[in-house]
Amino acid sequence: MRHIVLVGNMKVGKKGDVIVTYALGTSLGLMAYDPVSQVGGLLHAMLPLSRSDPQKAETNPCIFVDTGVPKLFKEICDMGGQKSRLVVRAAGCSRPLGENEMFKIGERNYSVLKKILWKNSILLESEDIGGTANRTVHFDLSTGEVAITS
Amino acid sequence: MSINVLIVDDSGVMRAMILKSLRMSGLPLGETHQAANGQEGLDVLNQHWVDLVIVDINMPVMNGEEMIDRMRESPEIKDIPIVVISTEGSKTRLEKLQQKGAAFIHKPFSPETIRDTIRDIMNLGGDDEGAD
Ligand SMILES: [Mg+2]
Repeated sequence: MRHIVLVGNMKVGKKGDVIVTYALGTSLGLMAYDPVSQVGGLLHAMLPLSRSDPQKAETNPCIFVDTGVPKLFKEICDMGGQKSRLVVRAAGCSRPLGENEMFKIGERNYSVLKKILWKNSILLESEDIGGTANRTVHFDLSTGEVAITS
Repeated sequence: MSINVLIVDDSGVMRAMILKSLRMSGLPLGETHQAANGQEGLDVLNQHWVDLVIVDINMPVMNGEEMIDRMRESPEIKDIPIVVISTEGSKTRLEKLQQKGAAFIHKPFSPETIRDTIRDIMNLGGDDEGAD
């Protein structure tokens, strides 16, 4: 089945599912897959830190990288995935032309991600990060394959 | 095959971060040894079988560059692959290290860079066709 993940959301699924997300700009797209149990998920998080709006983070943790990423891992594990087997790939975190330099949201999303992964002892298998492009991600949960277009 | 690694850095925090990166990397890690300067590093190399040396440059007693020179002069250990991890920015110094056959990683490093550099110099390849 094909699922579309909107900004500030995530979807987990299993073999047979394809997860798609569009318009990844400064947002982080994180794809995690356990090749043994063939379950995985995709997070499309918009902002780096939940402390900027704890109330919003309470109702929707997927808006923020620091609350969304642990939730993604947990939900995959709840479906039978194992954290130590996860193959994790990142996309997005771009820096659109004309964006105010002060904010650098894409860069901050990426650096918060790297800190959380370090704490969880997880390495990125690959990344397609930065630049000015808006990206679309197709994530095939039968194979774990990730296709990124922009 | 498992890789025995020697980590040489005068900072214990840095050695711990490098070790954690190695454990996260999925590389086949064997024994790990640590040393706080080049002299201690050479002592370890004389006592243990080591397949890979990860070494800092700026250290007291004996710096990393001198340790590498001593290694290259010593037939039993001259062919051990070396990765230098340092804040060193001088281009001439980096070129000198490359001529000595060492790979270079800049501090602060990402754990992915350590994994990819070691895969590369030890010809381990990836366990996965990366999307990049
Ligand atoms: Mg030092």
